[in-house]
Amino acid sequence: MSFTFNPINEEKIKKLWGEYPKKESLTLPMLWMAQYQEGWITPEAIRTIAARLELSPSHLFGIATFYTMFRLSAVGTYHIELCQTLSCALCGKDALIEHLGKKWGIRPGETTEDGRFTLSLVECLGGCGGAPMLSLNETYHENVTPESLDALLEGLS
Amino acid sequence: MNNVTITVNAQTLSAPEGSILLQVLLDNGVSVPHFCYHEALGVDGNCRMCMVEIEGQKRPQIACNTRVKEGMSIRTLSDSIMAVKRSILELELINHPVDCPICDQAGECSLQNYYMEVGLYESRIDRADKVRKAKKVDLGSHVILDQERCVLCARCTRFTENIIGTGDLVIANRGNHACVTTFEPQGLKADGYAMNVVDLCPVGALTSGDFRFHQRVWFLKSDPSLCHGCARGCSIFIDHYPQKYGDDLIYRYRPRVEREVNGFFICDEGRLSYKNHTGDATLTTPRYSGTAITLSEALELYHQKLAASGSGVVALASPSLSCENLTALRDYCLQYAIPLFGVERGSFDETFGDDFLRLNDRAANRSALPLLGISEDESEMNAALCAASLVLNFDNQTPVSVDQIHFCVHPIDTRELQIPIAPYTEQSGSIINAFGKVQKFASTIRRRHPVPPLHELLSTIKGLA
Amino acid sequence: MIQRIVSRKFDIPDAHRIDVALLHGGYATLSKAFAMEPDAITTEIERSGLRGKGGGGAPTGKKWRLMPKTISPSYLVVNADESEPGTFKDRQILQYDPHLLIEGIIVSAYAMGADHAYVYIRGEYKAFHDRLVEAVEEAYERGYLGENIRNSGFNLSLSVHRGAGAYICGEKSALLESLEGKRGHPRLKPAKPECEWYFGHPATVNNVETIATVPFIVQEGFEAYRAYGTDQSPGTMLFAMSGHISRPGVYELPFGLRMMEVIDELGGGVKNGKKLKAVIPGGASTPVLTAEEAEKATLDYETLSAMGSGLGTGGMIIMDEESCMVKALHNLLSFYRHESCGQCTPCREGTGWVDTLIRHILAGRGDETHIQTLLDVSKTMNGQTICVFAPAVSGVINAFVKKFRPEFEHYFQRSEG
Repeated sequence: MSFTFNPINEEKIKKLWGEYPKKESLTLPMLWMAQYQEGWITPEAIRTIAARLELSPSHLFGIATFYTMFRLSAVGTYHIELCQTLSCALCGKDALIEHLGKKWGIRPGETTEDGRFTLSLVECLGGCGGAPMLSLNETYHENVTPESLDALLEGLS
Repeated sequence: MNNVTITVNAQTLSAPEGSILLQVLLDNGVSVPHFCYHEALGVDGNCRMCMVEIEGQKRPQIACNTRVKEGMSIRTLSDSIMAVKRSILELELINHPVDCPICDQAGECSLQNYYMEVGLYESRIDRADKVRKAKKVDLGSHVILDQERCVLCARCTRFTENIIGTGDLVIANRGNHACVTTFEPQGLKADGYAMNVVDLCPVGALTSGDFRFHQRVWFLKSDPSLCHGCARGCSIFIDHYPQKYGDDLIYRYRPRVEREVNGFFICDEGRLSYKNHTGDATLTTPRYSGTAITLSEALELYHQKLAASGSGVVALASPSLSCENLTALRDYCLQYAIPLFGVERGSFDETFGDDFLRLNDRAANRSALPLLGISEDESEMNAALCAASLVLNFDNQTPVSVDQIHFCVHPIDTRELQIPIAPYTEQSGSIINAFGKVQKFASTIRRRHPVPPLHELLSTIKGLA
Repeated sequence: MIQRIVSRKFDIPDAHRIDVALLHGGYATLSKAFAMEPDAITTEIERSGLRGKGGGGAPTGKKWRLMPKTISPSYLVVNADESEPGTFKDRQILQYDPHLLIEGIIVSAYAMGADHAYVYIRGEYKAFHDRLVEAVEEAYERGYLGENIRNSGFNLSLSVHRGAGAYICGEKSALLESLEGKRGHPRLKPAKPECEWYFGHPATVNNVETIATVPFIVQEGFEAYRAYGTDQSPGTMLFAMSGHISRPGVYELPFGLRMMEVIDELGGGVKNGKKLKAVIPGGASTPVLTAEEAEKATLDYETLSAMGSGLGTGGMIIMDEESCMVKALHNLLSFYRHESCGQCTPCREGTGWVDTLIRHILAGRGDETHIQTLLDVSKTMNGQTICVFAPAVSGVINAFVKKFRPEFEHYFQRSEG
């Protein structure tokens, strides 16, 4: 299984190449592109990016594992990242975890059997004013209640 | 740089202004526990172990990130700084498995040494709470990793990243799940210098797959020597075990600091070349027609063959023989009018050299040949070999099609006469490296029945002649 | 109470579009700024007493002065890695008035002679990232970025760089490491104050709100800024409230207001009419205040620092009488354990150990020795690491344990009973 960036990403890379004094700065942008393209950062993507940036694959791996948003395995079609830090904890994040646990039969960190939903607990997303809150496929939803969560999930295809 | 005066525990020291305080302290024999700092790798400041008190500073400072200034006053032994060191060491150890009885680093482990020096506290961690990580990971190149023993000082990753430039090793993950790893399984190559990370590792995280479980380090005796694997002549320690009722056995080579030659490191091939000089690897008795014979039988055969060959005798010397051996050999050949050549086919290996330490010239003492007037003319040698009826081969690997008498370190698969000579590990001598540096080495390995060095053997032969 | 300097356009519909922003005075400062000597702008900022609004509160003008003018290129890096729990203010600027940030970047870069600006934005802020990128594109199209900006002869390029989930990248040197494509490990501090470095070139790292405040100061003069706030904490700041509060949100306020006045009048008081137990005044890393302390607190650097806490990011987390302070501390320690970069031993191992200790206490397995160990480890974590992450955790632990010790002890009694 090999990895190449699609033409749109190649265009972006070309543009970014001129925006930084050294190509190493493209590490995070290229990892992001690979993740959007493949759904996660595959070993092949790591090798490819490393070669493009003239870095070792190990070096790239060290970076990919440092930043928690980079995924080194696939997640469900819908990825819920539920904030568990203090303001959300004070405002009822446990009820949401429990609700989803009952609804899907999974614990945080797991994916539903049909591969549709992954539930992750994450640290403060900066949505404290709308606690409890979550991010669904990178879109914030604030002031979430079990009912509003149900409504949100029902609206998904 | 100007020298300035600093005070350390009420003693005064002179040190270059602006130099690294930790290095100054270490150079002056002041014990300062440290993990991440290494002279070859520079300052990283992550382990926080080298705390010292500096007068005028509110908090303890790490000595590695402190530059020497005139009048600086340092304390390393006060109760308060000892307490600081103890508290940091305690954190280094909370997730450590404390498996010293089965750890090869035991006896040369910084954690052990510092625990005895500044620790000596009762453990406050429940074993069940320790973070579990991967054990006995084969990183490749004979390096085995135990992530649980690692203090994450990053010496190994800085070595592959900054010294070798391959970046094979990396710290992955974050916080107390951080660990040293490679991306590809067995991905540690480091261009043939990988095993240096074993020496750099201050704890038992990186051990040598070649050495581990073979010997306890406190049984080993370390003696300085020189690697004979190529024309650089890297300084090494030979770590060996003098058995009470048997031969002295070599367990490993380690690099010895020699700034002008090899710095702090050696190549893996040189490091593992000890195997060629220990135990059964060397020839210890003369052999003829596939059977062992005595030295006097061998010398008798030698003289018979020599007499029968008349003027058709040619001698080949290994360009790795020491100056002492080459001198004796040259004199011997001159005395008996035997043409002597120092050419060795195959001793240049175009695939071996690199831009770090390894040199294509695999001979340890080629630079001595012109100084001793030993011929390096290959065409003359070829002509001489064509006309020869007997070749006296002094550990030279050049293929020869006529009858030979071998004076050799290693057994050869031949029915021809083989007479053992001592390897460099079992004799003292000197070699001149590719850059003209004359270096001496001493005899380190003793055998119950010693094999004579070539120069001694030649004097014996002279006596019989 | 509310004063609108950076939040001036927040309520204007579509102010994130350049046409709307321009209609409401967007980029108006540029003509004045370009008519000034760059140094005069820095002087104006120095006189205004503007302090960094990312949590540290360092004087902004002084920081700009550290930029050597002789090395080119040099960089302005805007820190939009807002990740301090309880803090959600910079995102308001990114969302509602990104052009104000861009305007601030142009003026600040001009003042310090920076050739290129980066906005490093936390990965989770995807929507705000996208909005800023759109605004930057608009600004390029209208000639507010790029070569010869508005015929001033000043060139500036601006790139938006996305992080990928690492709290520590809010630390300026870790941010630069990350911008260089590395793991976000904070760098060793220099012996004397100097600028930051991006690939060996001078760089200044400033918070989003700090930079967004610059146009006002330049336009209206430093005295106009100093008209707000206190002597040591001049001006305004985007204060935030979350947790057990009736009306959570972000409010731009002059420094020096009484904390309880803000909580009660703007925040509508503690949610559901409960009583107040504690307030974390300025993001998770500022030591917690008891309700009694909150009564005495005013929202400025000097008062909160004198109380042994700090103003931090101005993100207040309000906790009502029913909050369990042991669980609250555990929540924060889990956060820190997760976010420690793992570079320095006291932080890497300490954050893990204190989290483990408090788990034992919560599980009813704790006793006095656990509290003592917690405080001992906290001491080791203070002042012995490369960055201020571990010292902050230490301050958090000390405040929780010392101010709410009976709650911790209550958990041991459970195990005995």
